[in-house]
Amino acid sequence: MKALALLLILSGFAYAEDDLRLPRVTRAIFDNGLHVIVAEYHELPLVEFHLIVGAGAAQDPAGKEGVSAVTANALRRGAGKLSAEELARAIESLGGRISTTPGTDGTIVTAEFLRDDFAAGLDLLRQVMLDPKFSRDEVRRAREEQAAAIVAGFEDASTVAEKCYGNFLYGSHPYGRPVEGRRSTVSDIGRSDVTAYYDRWYRPNNTTLVLVGDVSAVDAVIRLREAFGAWRARPDAIPLRPTAPEPVAARRVLLVDKPDATQAQIRFGNVAIKRSDPDYLPAQVANTILGGGFTSKLIEELRVKRSLTYAAWSMFAARFGGGDFRLGTFTKNPTTAETLDLALTVEGDFRNRLPDRKALDKAKSYLRGQFPLRLETPDALAARLAEIEFYGLPVDELATFRRRVAAVTPADVQRVARAHMPPPDRVAVVVVGQASQVRAPLEAKFGPVETVAPDACEKLSMPRR
Amino acid sequence: MSRPVRRRLAILVAALAAPPLACALELPVVARSLSNGLRVLVHEDHSAPVVSSYVFYHVGSRNEVRGATGISHLFEHMMFNGGRKFGPGVFDDLIEGNGGSTNGYTTRDYTAYLNNFPREALPVVLDLESDRMANLAITKQNLEQERGIVMEERRLRIDNEVWGVMDEALYLQAFVESPYRWNVIGFMPDIAHITLDQARAYFRTYYAPNNATVVLAGDVDPPAAFRLVERYFGAIPRRHPPPPVDSSEPPQDGERRAVVRKNAELPAVMIGYHVPRAVDADRASLDVVERLLGGGESARLHQDLVRRHEVATVVEANDTWGIDPELFWIYAQARPKKTAAALEERIDAVVGELRSKRVPDDELAKAKSQLRSEYVEGLKTVSGKANKLGFFETVFGDYRALFRLEDAWRAVSADDVQRVARTYLDRTHRTVVVLVPVPAPGRPASGRPPRPGGVS
Repeated sequence: MKALALLLILSGFAYAEDDLRLPRVTRAIFDNGLHVIVAEYHELPLVEFHLIVGAGAAQDPAGKEGVSAVTANALRRGAGKLSAEELARAIESLGGRISTTPGTDGTIVTAEFLRDDFAAGLDLLRQVMLDPKFSRDEVRRAREEQAAAIVAGFEDASTVAEKCYGNFLYGSHPYGRPVEGRRSTVSDIGRSDVTAYYDRWYRPNNTTLVLVGDVSAVDAVIRLREAFGAWRARPDAIPLRPTAPEPVAARRVLLVDKPDATQAQIRFGNVAIKRSDPDYLPAQVANTILGGGFTSKLIEELRVKRSLTYAAWSMFAARFGGGDFRLGTFTKNPTTAETLDLALTVEGDFRNRLPDRKALDKAKSYLRGQFPLRLETPDALAARLAEIEFYGLPVDELATFRRRVAAVTPADVQRVARAHMPPPDRVAVVVVGQASQVRAPLEAKFGPVETVAPDACEKLSMPRR
Repeated sequence: MSRPVRRRLAILVAALAAPPLACALELPVVARSLSNGLRVLVHEDHSAPVVSSYVFYHVGSRNEVRGATGISHLFEHMMFNGGRKFGPGVFDDLIEGNGGSTNGYTTRDYTAYLNNFPREALPVVLDLESDRMANLAITKQNLEQERGIVMEERRLRIDNEVWGVMDEALYLQAFVESPYRWNVIGFMPDIAHITLDQARAYFRTYYAPNNATVVLAGDVDPPAAFRLVERYFGAIPRRHPPPPVDSSEPPQDGERRAVVRKNAELPAVMIGYHVPRAVDADRASLDVVERLLGGGESARLHQDLVRRHEVATVVEANDTWGIDPELFWIYAQARPKKTAAALEERIDAVVGELRSKRVPDDELAKAKSQLRSEYVEGLKTVSGKANKLGFFETVFGDYRALFRLEDAWRAVSADDVQRVARTYLDRTHRTVVVLVPVPAPGRPASGRPPRPGGVS
């Protein structure tokens, strides 16, 4: 085994401009390319790991959609000398946790252990990352459980709405793929697909590792190097990111039929910015006014004034190579067309007008005031530090956040709203509801509506021939 | 991805299934009662310049009567719409304008209002909270606005959510007389019919300082915090104590079963067993049983139903902590082509083994270690800490019960586990809810057909 030297350690306080004390962050790049970030956190006797492997569903080969998720799900099912059951028992006997979350651009692996179990927990995590077994039987289980979860998801209207919206808006673009794959492709995934995916992408030069915990940073870096130093890099492990998706050029409405639903789920939006876009922050401020907080324009118009819904929200789903702006709400069958129409109007009006000063000030206070609460736990802090590294954001992203929010002007808000929130006649709309009740009113207001069953949406994301 | 679920209903009364603790982590708390009976708990934590406030009103759906079920939760919604000093729409604006966030939730046992905010906003928050405690504006406009919103919430959480329908059915079957039988959100016709007079009477009866606990956690100085609480809440008059709740429940002789037919993909089963109230001496042993059965992938139910027999996609166990006797439930969802009967058979086998064989020491230690980790998890945020302190003060009658958890868990023996499993997880007085998926017209559902008695 080759001993790997540490390339670089930078250490320093991340000063905020006010009394928010951000922890000291230590960074290292091991010579196998692994990016390591350590922050000390001494409020609780815990260590939290947050790793992002820089490949997800966007790297699934055609016809094998879902393999990144099966790989993530099978990762913890046996490693080193431990079978799946032994590994689960070892983790849970420590009162610890290792979990994997497959995503579109990346795969997240998190782990939590008590400080006193740091060495044992780190060793289990190392085995999971570097030496997963992927036995044939465990891959089969992961695949079958994933296929069952896909089926179970058809039961839930909001799950169907989110999934169909992604399929409908992005189509065959990699960001339109359901992360968990399609029923037809998941059943074809075998052990060799999983090991090929793992061998290619699970590499230190394609991974960011953040550790936040009740440890000394210097000691932690040394122990991390002992654990992960032998992980071998691969030159082609860093994926080419998808190019920006094409926006939809007109309003298109998809109705997904849930024959016994008494409530319709509504989503609409269009392609928008990627995470590293400099407009991301002012866009967050704009979104807070429209549909972020609990005093947003959407809440005011749909919930407070008219009692049409219990919730209404909007957000930028910003990814590596692009993303989308989306808005969501739900209402009883008879008010479905009215609610969709009103949500489109509220969104359209918002992007056409200069925001009032009071609403802007409130949104800024809200974002600034909630900021420390979003960094309060060691796992939340680890996730934010990993996100910054993964998307290549400035290292002072956290330290300058509140100052940058404070500097956003009404003109900034209007500019980013017009640029990144779609005009209401250019959106992909998905309604999940009882077609026999909601279809006619929708067609009367919005023209022809395509109707499909919940399990048919995934076809929309298939490569077009 | 964040969907606002504020003013949300805690459908699982104790999603707090097992809040953790270690003696080393006992929180410093200063507790006092004002002369009007308001209980105040302050926990000082200066690690960030933020404060969390909770007001726990000791009223939930257990205090309701038939015909007006759901009034506690509907009332929680109304609480955000103005008092005397602050008019409609001001509460949320002022909280968010001061950098805070606000929410509320209702359970069978209590109603909690929370705010998480920069420390400078403490006086504003207390001003707002005391104004609505003293002088909520109970108007037709307020009631009608929230009635429509709550109906939408019921459609979301119960009527269009398979799990929600099963959960509602389980409690309705398992309890005959206890007010725990109805769901916190109430029946749709009751939500539709609650009157302004009922809302006014409810407020007079239950929203009093002597029926509430204020918890502050975070960057506060206790003496200064008490002075502020006294200034804003001190003049609110004490009221007659609310009437006691009759939670008596006739013993369940024999198994009860219910069938839910819904447009769904996969069969599922939910089994409820009667368990004693949270303060009962057997509760710690039941917490351990919950972890042994449902604590992660190494737990018995997952090992058996998901791995060994491959009949389930998901299986969970939940030991709910209530002021009154509650349910310990197990839920499992079938895999495609597997049946509810197969799930039930395996659950019976797993529970049966816990009743018939002594649990090995290492497995017992694992369950306890999981309980401890969950305890720590619940104390990561100032909001989590304030919530726990208020929960224990309200449901256990003393916030210090939180600090006694770990000792209670540590004392649980293998004999205790077997004894409580035999006492409570008994099929002769359990309730079973079976979901039979009904395919959409013209479309076969994927998990069909459920054949009675079929096994993998």
